[in-house]
Amino acid sequence: MSKSYTITLEISRYDPDTKLSWIQTYQVEVGGILRFVDVLRKVNDEQDPTLAWASSCEHAQCGSCGIIVNGKPLLACELLVRDAVEKFNTQKFTLKPLNIAPVLRDLVVDLEKAYDKVHEALPYLIKPAPPHPDGDEYRISPEKLDIYVEATRCINCFCCATACISSHRNFLGPNVTMANIVRLMDPRETAKEERMDILYREDGVYRCHTSRACSFVCPKEIDVSHFLALGKEGKF
Amino acid sequence: MGEKLTIDSTLRCDVLVIGAGGAGLRAAAQIGELRPGTKIIALTKVTSPQKSHTTTAQGGMAAVDPKDPVDKPIFHIFDTWKGSDCSADQNVIKKVCNMGWEEVVWLERNGMHFSRTEEGRIPKRPFGGHMLNFGETKAFRACYEADRTGKGIMDTVWNESLKHGVNFIGQCIATEILFKDNKCIGAIIFRYPEGKFLAILAKATIMATGGKTRMYLVSSNCRGNTGDGLAFALHAGIPIMDPEAVQFHPTGMVGPGILASEALRGEGAILRNKDKEPFMERYAPTAKDLAPRDLISRAIITEFREGRGLFHEGHNAQHVWLDLRHLPKEVHEKKIQEVCSFFKRFVGVDPEKDLCPVTPTAHYQMGGIPTNEFGEVQTDTQTIIPGLFACGEVAAASLHGLNRLGTNSLLELITLGKVTGERVVEYLKDAEDPEEISPDAGHIVFDQFSTYLNAQGTEKYAQIRETLRNLMMEKVGIFRTEKSLLEAIEGLKSLKERAMHIPIGITSLKANQDLWQIWELNNLITVSMVIAQGALARKESRGAHYREDYPERSNEFNYHTLVSMPEFNKITLGKRPIDMSIFEAKGERFELFDYIERKY
Repeated sequence: MSKSYTITLEISRYDPDTKLSWIQTYQVEVGGILRFVDVLRKVNDEQDPTLAWASSCEHAQCGSCGIIVNGKPLLACELLVRDAVEKFNTQKFTLKPLNIAPVLRDLVVDLEKAYDKVHEALPYLIKPAPPHPDGDEYRISPEKLDIYVEATRCINCFCCATACISSHRNFLGPNVTMANIVRLMDPRETAKEERMDILYREDGVYRCHTSRACSFVCPKEIDVSHFLALGKEGKF
Repeated sequence: MGEKLTIDSTLRCDVLVIGAGGAGLRAAAQIGELRPGTKIIALTKVTSPQKSHTTTAQGGMAAVDPKDPVDKPIFHIFDTWKGSDCSADQNVIKKVCNMGWEEVVWLERNGMHFSRTEEGRIPKRPFGGHMLNFGETKAFRACYEADRTGKGIMDTVWNESLKHGVNFIGQCIATEILFKDNKCIGAIIFRYPEGKFLAILAKATIMATGGKTRMYLVSSNCRGNTGDGLAFALHAGIPIMDPEAVQFHPTGMVGPGILASEALRGEGAILRNKDKEPFMERYAPTAKDLAPRDLISRAIITEFREGRGLFHEGHNAQHVWLDLRHLPKEVHEKKIQEVCSFFKRFVGVDPEKDLCPVTPTAHYQMGGIPTNEFGEVQTDTQTIIPGLFACGEVAAASLHGLNRLGTNSLLELITLGKVTGERVVEYLKDAEDPEEISPDAGHIVFDQFSTYLNAQGTEKYAQIRETLRNLMMEKVGIFRTEKSLLEAIEGLKSLKERAMHIPIGITSLKANQDLWQIWELNNLITVSMVIAQGALARKESRGAHYREDYPERSNEFNYHTLVSMPEFNKITLGKRPIDMSIFEAKGERFELFDYIERKY
C-alpha cells in the first residue's frame, strides 16, 4: 500500500474584485503518489472550491501549471507528494504563483501576457531556405539536429523565467531567448541577421548573468543556460 | 449576485476559429497563405495555442512517402477502411491518405523539428493496423519527431498562424454560435480573466474545439477537453455523428491515464499479463501488439475479467504490463525519451529495468459534428450550414468511422485543416459582413450562468463529476449492454438535475474557476447523454463500439448514426450513408473496399 501523508499547504491567495491578498493554510491527507495538481483538486473538492489554480495536460507537456513551491518554480503536475516530502525534507509547503505575469486569482497568472514576449522572438522560420531539389524535406543530419534538439523541447512554462536572477523588465527571458537561438541554429533559417538583432538587442541575451538558475529548474531538464552561452558566443 | 449579464463589446473579423489546436490553426495558416490580410481571430481555452491538447500527441503522423520502395497510398487507404471496421467514408479516406506526404513536407518546410535518419530524412516507424500489401506485414509509415510529434506539429501551426498575423484570444470559451437567416455569423465568447462576454461577428466560423473524453474515469485528455463544442452545436440543433464511437487507448499509465504512446509498441514493446505471457499473440496472431486499439483494449479487459490482470494498490486500479526492457538504450534515450520520463516521474518505474503498468484510457472521439469532405458542416447529406465549418477531432468527415488507427488523427488535423482553410477562402469571395447581432444573442449562456450563479442546494461539484466519470467508465465504456446503457441514461438524467443545485463558491465573474467548471460539467453530462443514446441505438458491435448483447457486426447498421438533442434528452436519431465511392468505382482491388471481414 502506498504511503499517505498529512501535508500543510500555505497558499498565496488573491481576489481580483477586492484586490486583497492573503496566505491561506490547508491541511490535506493524501497518498504519496498523488501529484500536486491532484492535491489542489482535493482541496477544491473537499475544503475550498474557491481556490483557483491552472493546469491543462497534467503530464508536463503543456506547461500551464507552473507554481512556486518552497521557493522553487516547477510544474504542479510533475511533483509527486512523496517526492516533494523527500526533496524539500518537510511536509509543509508554501505555494505561490509564478512572478512573470499579473496574477488573475490565487495561483493563476496571466500567461497570455507572458507569451507576448515569446511572440517577439518570432519563433517561426522568418525566411526559410529554398526547398530541397527533390521537392521534399530538407536534409538535416542527425548530428546537426543533436546540437539543438534539446532546446526544441521547451514548452514555455516560464519556470526558468521565474527563477532567472535578471529582471523580467529588462530581459526577454531565458525561454524566449532560447526560442530565438533554436532558429539561429536551425539550418533552414536564412534570416540570421534579423535574428541576431533580436538576440543582441537591449533586452537580449547579454542581460543574462549566467546564474544557470534556468537550467537548474527546467522541468524538461533542458540545459537552457548552455544555449544562452552559445548565443553569447555567437556559436550557432 | 443578481448582476445583469450583458455583452460587453463586439469584435469583427473575416474568420473566427473556435479552438486553436492543430486543425484550427492549420486552417488559419492556410487562409493566411492563400489570402494575406484576412482578419482571423483564433480562440483558445488555454493561455496560448502552444498549450493545446494537440501538443500531447506522441507517436507520429501517418503518410506514405512517394520514395518508399514498398509502401503505397492504396495500402494506407485500405488499412484505414479496415481499421474503421468498414464505417469510415471512402471519399474522405482517399483524399486524406493521398495528401499525407505533401502535408508532412509542408510542416517540415515551415520549421517542424522532425527526427532524422542517417541520410538526413524524416524517419518512419510502424503503428497499429498500418500494414503493407493489404494487411500482410507491418508498414513503416508514421513520420515522427521523437515521441513528441504532436508538440512539433502544434508549434509549427501556431508559429505559422503567428507569422500570418492571426489574432489569438486565450483563456476564453465560446458559448453559443450565432445565426442569421440560417447562416452562421460568429459566436458569443466569455473571457476568464475579466469575466466578460464578447460577441464576435465573422463571415466564416470554423469549429475546431477538439475532443471530450473527460467524462471517463481514466482519460488521456486535457483538463479542458469537456465537449464544449459538441454541447453548443447540439444546442444550435446540429446533430452529432457517431457519438458512440469513443476510442480507448490500450496503454494509459495506471493512475491518471497519461498516454503511453503506441510508438512504444511500434519500437518493439510487448504487452504481458500477470503470468508475463505476451497475450496479444492469442487475440491477433498476425498483428500482435500492433493490432488496432479497439482490439487491444478489449483484449486487456478480457485478461482482467479472466483473472490474468494485476492490481495496482496505490492507484486502486487493474493493469497489465508493458515490457520495454529489451529495447536498446538508444531507443529509450532518443526515440521515446518523453514517455520514459513520464513513467519515471508519474509511476516511479524505470522502463529500462522495470515492467510498466498500463490500462486502457479514454482517448479520442471518432464521431463529431458532421461535415462533408471540405469541412462544411452538414445537418444531413443534402444540407450544409453556410458560414460554418468544422475540422479536427470535433468534426466527423468521417475519416475514422467507428475506430481510428494511431497516427491518423494528426494526419486528419493537418490535411482536413488545410482543406477547410481552402474552402473558407472560396467561401469568403462572396461572403458579406454580418450586420449586427440579434438583440437576444447571448441568452443561452446568460441563462446558464445565472442558473449556476444563483443555484441553491447541497450538491457538490466534485461528487457529481466523480459519479459521472465512474458511471461512464462502467456503463458506457469498452463493453456495453442494453442494460448498462439504460442505467447510464437514467443516471445521467439524475446528474443533470443534481448539477442545477450546486451552490457556487464565488459569484464574481472574474477568473471564476468554479463557474467555469460547472459550465464544463454540464457540457460533459450533455455529451455523455448523446454518447449513451448513440450506443443504445447501435445494436451491433463495430470498431470501438462493442455491445456484449450484440457481439457481431451487422449489415443492418452500415450507416453513420446522427443524434440530435436540442434540449437535454430530447433525442432524434438519424442516419447518414457510408460513402463507398472506392468500392463503387470498381478500380484496383475494389473488392477489398466492400464490407469485409476484419481480422488481424
